Amino acid sequence: MQHAYVEPAARGVDRALTNASDLSADGLAVRFQGLAAISGVSLTLHRHEVFGLIGPNGAGKTTLVNCLTGFQRPTEGRVLLGEADTAGWSAAEFRARGVARTFQAGRLFRDMSVIENVEVTGAGLGLSLRAAREHARAMLDWIGLSDKAGLPAGALAYTDQRRLGIARALILSPAFVLLDEPAAGMSDAECEELMDLVASIPSTFTCGVLLIEHNMRVVMGISQRIHVLDGGRTLAEGTPGEIQRHEAVIAAYLGMEA
Amino acid sequence: MGTAMRLLARHQTPLLLILLLGLIAVLGLLGGDSVQVTLTEMFIRVVVVVGLFVFIGNSGIISFGQVGFMCIGAYAAAWATAEPSFKQIMLQGLPVVLQENQLPFWVAILGAVLLPALVAFGLGLAIMRLSGTAASIATFAFLIIVNSVYANWDSVTAGVSSIVGIPTVVGPWTAYGFSGLAILAAYGFQVSRVGLMLRASRDDEVAARACAVKVVRMRLIAFVLSAAITGMGGGLYAQFLGILTVDPFYLSLSFITIAMLVVGGQASLTGAVTGVVAVTAVVEVLRLLERGITLGGTALALPAGSQEIGLGLVMALILIFRPNGLSRGRELVLPSRRFGFAAPARISPRPKAAS
Repeated sequence: MQHAYVEPAARGVDRALTNASDLSADGLAVRFQGLAAISGVSLTLHRHEVFGLIGPNGAGKTTLVNCLTGFQRPTEGRVLLGEADTAGWSAAEFRARGVARTFQAGRLFRDMSVIENVEVTGAGLGLSLRAAREHARAMLDWIGLSDKAGLPAGALAYTDQRRLGIARALILSPAFVLLDEPAAGMSDAECEELMDLVASIPSTFTCGVLLIEHNMRVVMGISQRIHVLDGGRTLAEGTPGEIQRHEAVIAAYLGMEA
Repeated sequence: MGTAMRLLARHQTPLLLILLLGLIAVLGLLGGDSVQVTLTEMFIRVVVVVGLFVFIGNSGIISFGQVGFMCIGAYAAAWATAEPSFKQIMLQGLPVVLQENQLPFWVAILGAVLLPALVAFGLGLAIMRLSGTAASIATFAFLIIVNSVYANWDSVTAGVSSIVGIPTVVGPWTAYGFSGLAILAAYGFQVSRVGLMLRASRDDEVAARACAVKVVRMRLIAFVLSAAITGMGGGLYAQFLGILTVDPFYLSLSFITIAMLVVGGQASLTGAVTGVVAVTAVVEVLRLLERGITLGGTALALPAGSQEIGLGLVMALILIFRPNGLSRGRELVLPSRRFGFAAPARISPRPKAAS
């Protein structure tokens, strides 16, 4: 069902903008009216890896992703893209520099067609309409939504909506993509299929993936490294094996689930 | 099917709309002078409402200020073409070139397009970062300001008295021609890159930003184009009436034009055009009934004021049964069997209620 991804030529798009080798948070803190959502969080996402971000509800995972994509200004600390300090960048600028994201709620352009949803990013990144269409076709082909290109996005089945959200983020091969619970609400089989897709992103797009996911087993399966948040603070970071043996993690998170 | 046919089929919506209006214009030839006046006014309103659509329809932000641009456009046209003898006495604040000359119609229209666009650019820089209600209220504030300035700046607007001696060169066919121009411009924008990105921000502003869309810039472009088209409508209006005051460019015109857009279906160009035609038709029928008709020997006349009440009722009924307007937010296309090879340019339908 899944095809190889062949990216069309992209005239007028400055690829040098998106060649950063890592995206990092340096001592990030976000406080909402005195209430800390996250504090003192540091992590580095490399290209070519799937990096898992886990933690119980309210641990600050989405807030962290918002900071890393320009949707939330940190109260303290910095977000660095390669060597560049991103202070003052808009969300659109983050995307233009190769930092893409999806949303927990999907947030598709529901009244627009499936292919238009993907074209929007192409246009936003400077492609002509014609080129954006061509890129969108290649992307839908890869993700397996070609036959639904003309449907309104809101009419898609739930799992397809999630895939479309990812397609919209991946057009023109960003350097990093941050996926906020892409498999939420899916059955085990659907989830597994989606995770195969996620696992193939780094090699297909030379793109680093930060994956927020509730299901520990799933994250352990495809992440090279995992970062655990709890109550807005870093609890642990390491390989899946290290995380599984980490006592604080077991106490705070695994124990709770078991 | 040749390339030309495919192209026609793909972009059939504006052509069909122009054809539809042309049909109405031809039918109007059968009527008397009063029908010609009604038609001219209707076509000018098509220009204005299509102008409104460019911003409101694509951005999803209601603007009460576009009639302010219409006012600016109307006065720009009047400054160009009103009788020099009048301008030299009453409008002494105007540049001498304008005072001493009666410029041609095309200069008037050019002014009616450019001046509102310029003002919209300045205003838009300030308020386009606002969203939702805040943006709408800011545009309302702008309408109030324009009205006050034009009602009080005696040396260039003649204040509350009228500017007279504007050549009445706009009849039904001229107005029809400009409505076609407005439709083409609005359509071109709608299917452009900027139009695509702006419609995305209408559906979900946050997601649009994540897709690298510079939302404020897209809105600004639409706002300026919208002001240019609406201003052009104002210029036509001045050259249709021949006499100009600020009074018409205020709340009631602002509301009726927005009502036309909403009744037609604010998310589509088809909605903008059909809204004007439908509301005009309802108004004319009610006006006729108010004047009284004779049916089989009995004279029937509605009491005075029933025209407004009737219009209100009809609009409410339409919106109750079609919350997304007469067009349901879709575009007019021929049944696709006829043009089976080429689907028309996709412009998103808007099937659910705008909240």
